[in-house]
Amino acid sequence: MSGTKCTRLSGAPVRRLLDSVDSVLFDCDGVIWRGDQAVPGACRVIDLLKEHGKKVFFVTNNSSKTRRMYAEKMSALGFGVSEEEVFGTAYCCAAYLRTVCELEGKKVYLIGSAAMAHELEAVGIRQTGVGPDHVSGKQGDWAAVPLDPDVRAVVVGFDEHFSYMKLNRALQYLLREDCLFVGTNRDTRLPLEGGKAVPTGCLLQAVETAAQRRAQTVGKPNHFMFDCVASHFGVQPERCLMVGDRLDTDILLGSNCGLKTLLTLTGVSTVADAEAHRESGCAERQGMVPDYYVDSIADLLPAL
Amino acid sequence: MAGAFGFKGCQKIRGPQIRGLLEAKDFFLFDCDGVIWHGENAITGAAKVVNSLIRHGKNVVFVTNNCTRPRENYVHKFSRLGFTDVMLDQIFSSSYCSALYLRDVVQVRGQVFVMGCEGLRRELLEAGVPCVEEADDGPDATIYNCTLAPDVKAVLVGHDDKLTFLKLAKASCYLRDPECLFLATDNDPWHPLSGGRILPGSGSLTAALEVASGRKATVIGKPSRFMFECISSQFRGVDPAQCLMVGDRLETDMLFGSNCGLDTMLTLTGVSQLEEAQEYRNSDLTTNHSFVPDYVVDTIADFLPAFEELEEQND
Repeated sequence: MSGTKCTRLSGAPVRRLLDSVDSVLFDCDGVIWRGDQAVPGACRVIDLLKEHGKKVFFVTNNSSKTRRMYAEKMSALGFGVSEEEVFGTAYCCAAYLRTVCELEGKKVYLIGSAAMAHELEAVGIRQTGVGPDHVSGKQGDWAAVPLDPDVRAVVVGFDEHFSYMKLNRALQYLLREDCLFVGTNRDTRLPLEGGKAVPTGCLLQAVETAAQRRAQTVGKPNHFMFDCVASHFGVQPERCLMVGDRLDTDILLGSNCGLKTLLTLTGVSTVADAEAHRESGCAERQGMVPDYYVDSIADLLPAL
Repeated sequence: MAGAFGFKGCQKIRGPQIRGLLEAKDFFLFDCDGVIWHGENAITGAAKVVNSLIRHGKNVVFVTNNCTRPRENYVHKFSRLGFTDVMLDQIFSSSYCSALYLRDVVQVRGQVFVMGCEGLRRELLEAGVPCVEEADDGPDATIYNCTLAPDVKAVLVGHDDKLTFLKLAKASCYLRDPECLFLATDNDPWHPLSGGRILPGSGSLTAALEVASGRKATVIGKPSRFMFECISSQFRGVDPAQCLMVGDRLETDMLFGSNCGLDTMLTLTGVSQLEEAQEYRNSDLTTNHSFVPDYVVDTIADFLPAFEELEEQND
């Protein structure tokens, strides 16, 4: 979209924008829910978009749930959603490993959740590593820890059982040059949780630093998640709107894929953040400037 | 010695040039892993070199980023491996210096949350620095239901083989207070073990916490200057021009020497290769030149012929 960017969306332009798209992608945390509460009006927005014939999808960097678990959470919050409409990084990472890395029938070393293990198994990829794993024995034993010769990749997502031993195993696998290295996402802050938990970006950083290698990440802002949606449902980028609360993941994904972008202020990023990117004069930062912003997605209701 | 325009020679030296250094310098700083020993095996000739330096009246200190053992263990190890007369006050580890930093520089009032092993905690306790007790959180403990210690004034990250998600989360919480200091024993991304194997280092944990907290850690160990300040303070003032830093890792030992204004010597018995040093020297980035050693030896045993000559001279 050329012309002025980062303008407040209200009045007639809301209808015009919605008429110009056939699909809407929503981030979840900070957009349609906050923690365990739906954003007021969000359920109605989704229902009405569908009634107007729009396709609606959910794209989240969170890797701790399977698609089914997301659909269940969303139903419990009052959203009319089916599993196929949800794209989390557990599902997309498995898809990436299958289609791009061609690891179907192969094995990976996983630092991640049971949900990730489940999504991997569903596409025929075996894993080792899920669950608690602590050091025992002496330092020499750890460096000489036996490695499964079938492991082709180290995969890192959110893991509440993260430990030194897991970091060590990942390092030992990654010393093999032909071992692939994939991460779910680089998010460094969890929205609305007051910094009380440890986002995936930190765990990934620990592994990358020890191994002195950079992972390929699957989640936003990488275009792969949009590719997943598009390949399943035939979505055209120019007729698609990305709605998110984070400039460095949601909006950047939208820009990278040629989508229209809408920032909602119910989550992490602010208008001041967006304007700072716009005024920076830095070409790389322009991708983080949304076309429009709203206080909440409920602001779409008058036009629906 | 470092060249007219500060250009570092990266030259392999032997015999007469080493003798020149032995005469010119009276303070020798040695890294340990990969310089003096590999695990439990001393580098051939290393004990004789150290003993000779001491016998010739040189000051010898050991400067290591290894924060896993208390200094007493090093005294015993030196003795076991044939290094006579190496005393506690010649040993400067990043854990010992972290304790000094907290006690003397920061003068910490309040507790320190330590992510490190027993060796680090021992040094802190011996310096009288109060540490948060290692919690025995049950298997169901999460950041939402565990107790956070009150009055935590610093988070210190080292090599922590008992690292857990919960510890990272706790540290991240403590660091939300801008008054709480963020310290790291060292930044080494991995540590070498004997036999060419490596383990994740303190640097990897520090990086994770920097990302979680959005803050940069203050690094105590090499290449930061602080360990040299500890040495200088203990020996009542050390003139950098009188010093030679001998190490095996360009990004820690050589940079440390450069940061402190010391002449540097790379020994090829450890981590870094001569080719890497040459690449840094040939680099267009002037910042890379700080990684380049002034001198290079294959092993510190190359000092031995120079001692023999010195002794012949004295006879």
